[in-house]
Amino acid sequence: MSVGVSVRGLEKAYEDGARRVEVLRGVDLSVTAGERVAIVGPSGSGKSTLLHLLGTLDRPDAGTVEIGGQAVGELTGSRLAAFRNRTIGFVFQFHELLAEFTALENVMLPGRIARRPLGELEERARELLEEVGMTRRSDHFPSQLSGGERQRVALCRALILDPPLLLADEPTGNLDPVIGDRVFDLLVELQERHGTTAVVVTHNPEIARRCARLLSLENGFLHDGNR
Amino acid sequence: MILARSADCGPGLPFAAVVALRYLRSTRRDSFVRFLSLVACGGLAVGVAALILSLAALTGFQDALKEEILSRTPEVAVDVPPDRDAAEVAVAIAGVEGVLGVRRSVEGRGWILSEGRVRSVLLEGFEGALPESYAEAPSRGPGVYLPERLAASWGLEAGDRVEIASNRPTLTPLGPQPRVLRRPVAGLYRAGRTEQEDRLALPLADAGRLLGPLTERVEVDAGGLERAQRVATRLADVLPEGVTVRTWRELERGLFFALRLEKSVMFVALSLIVGVAALALVADVHLVIAAKRAELGMLGTLGASPSALRRVFLLFGAGLATVGGGVGLALGLSGAHLLDRYRLLRLPPRVYFLDHVPFTVRLADVAVILLVSLGLSLACAVWAAGRAAALTPVEALRR
Ligand SMILES: Nc1ncnc2c1ncn2[C@@H]1O[C@H](COP(=O)(O)OP(=O)(O)OP(=O)(O)O)[C@@H](O)[C@H]1O
Ligand SMILES: [Mg+2]
Repeated sequence: MSVGVSVRGLEKAYEDGARRVEVLRGVDLSVTAGERVAIVGPSGSGKSTLLHLLGTLDRPDAGTVEIGGQAVGELTGSRLAAFRNRTIGFVFQFHELLAEFTALENVMLPGRIARRPLGELEERARELLEEVGMTRRSDHFPSQLSGGERQRVALCRALILDPPLLLADEPTGNLDPVIGDRVFDLLVELQERHGTTAVVVTHNPEIARRCARLLSLENGFLHDGNR
Repeated sequence: MILARSADCGPGLPFAAVVALRYLRSTRRDSFVRFLSLVACGGLAVGVAALILSLAALTGFQDALKEEILSRTPEVAVDVPPDRDAAEVAVAIAGVEGVLGVRRSVEGRGWILSEGRVRSVLLEGFEGALPESYAEAPSRGPGVYLPERLAASWGLEAGDRVEIASNRPTLTPLGPQPRVLRRPVAGLYRAGRTEQEDRLALPLADAGRLLGPLTERVEVDAGGLERAQRVATRLADVLPEGVTVRTWRELERGLFFALRLEKSVMFVALSLIVGVAALALVADVHLVIAAKRAELGMLGTLGASPSALRRVFLLFGAGLATVGGGVGLALGLSGAHLLDRYRLLRLPPRVYFLDHVPFTVRLADVAVILLVSLGLSLACAVWAAGRAAALTPVEALRR
């Protein structure tokens, strides 16, 4: 299952007292279902901002975001939360696993929010953890895991409900190159197997190279990247 | 905090409850959160226990005081003005249904004199047997009854003669003359423990001679405090104009009002402890929200709705309040029980009318205490939890 993403004329500025930072100044983007797209750009160019807008975590000043035909600007409150829960999986540079929950429980969280039956949910979580080689770590708390292991757990958590869209913001940025590659391998493998649409923000040229399409964000606009 | 591992994450528990329970358990780890949680919980426990204990002590005292004072208060009192014949009224009263006995009495001020010493006393004229309020006074024939204390300090014994003077003069052609009677001491009585004033009992006829003409009182035995009102109503229907009928409740209205007021003031004052604890709870919830900011942002991105996040902290606050309130309840109830049962708080026997502090727990008091404490804490938790709902995921994810 996957969805297309369509973005039109997206604008976003941050106002900080007298200063006004125009981060996005009219971003257009179309991602077809099942595609894997990389977004690159200098630090501070607004990659995270764009990803947050795609992920319905923030609202644009102008422009629209459509995910699978749904204009997300029309959703608010718990309907928006439910949409996010069902449709989008996030992986961030910092894993943000819940410290009080074991790896397995962290993976199950989106399903608990969606009130899925626990038995099924746990089975699925164990499968995912096995796919990323974390079976023996499933009852450990985040503080007992290495950075790479945590990021693998975060990846499983993002995918537990089979979201049609995966948004990753420098998923390997915090990991050493070898582990980072390994995590990204897993991401690609899972994404391809499940046919998930993926937008990946990255600084890593190696990762960018492995995406079907490369876009670069500069001066508030999104350009087709040169490979 | 004190939650067992098995208690949480049971199958089917709502998401918000699961997270709230984990956060409660995690307060053990973060020393700052632990400290504030302890203050909130402990403050609530102390407040609830203090309220239960002090209201129980107050109730115990008040009950003892009421009992003492009511033993000297007639169940129903009928006041007969001087222009009516009190004896006739007394006969009429005795015939009313529910009246078990009547006793006429008068009251006034005067002095007792003996060998040049004088003391102001309350004069009470009685009819028939000596009233019960003159406890332990064996009669040695006709005469007056004095408090033991007074007799001891003046060196008087039964049979000695004393003079009783009234504050009412008799008008004679030579001018006003004091009314004085010389009578033997018939017996001594032990004064009640809350009495401030010396009372002196003398036969009704003597009292009439000293004090009359005056309003006479007919004390009515209605067969119990609860029956007084019914009997009083019946009496009011039967008796002529000008005669007033009052029950013990009306006679001691000032006392009961003062006692209720005392209790209310005590309650409000001690509720402040609970108020402070509730504020600590607000600070605690805010602190946990701040500490878990990034996690809450992550939960938002995973699709937890703002109201679910609010519920997490509402439950968190409610959990702390329940633990604190429960501990306070247990401490207060068991404390009151032990202190009362074993009379642990002694009072110097000659100073006060009780030799220990009695504790009487009223269910209604406990209910109000719990309602106020938990209500206040929950209101504060609702207030504090609103902050979790107001957090947007992006805001929470930025570091
Ligand atoms: N809440 C905010 N208030 C003010 N300015 C902000 C805010 N969030 C982001 N910015 C600014 O917007 C710009 C884009 O930020 P963003 O995080 O999207 O960049 P980025 O491309 O992800 O950078 P990096 O590669 O370093 O992660 C930056 O200049 C940043 O300072
Ligand atoms: Mg960024």
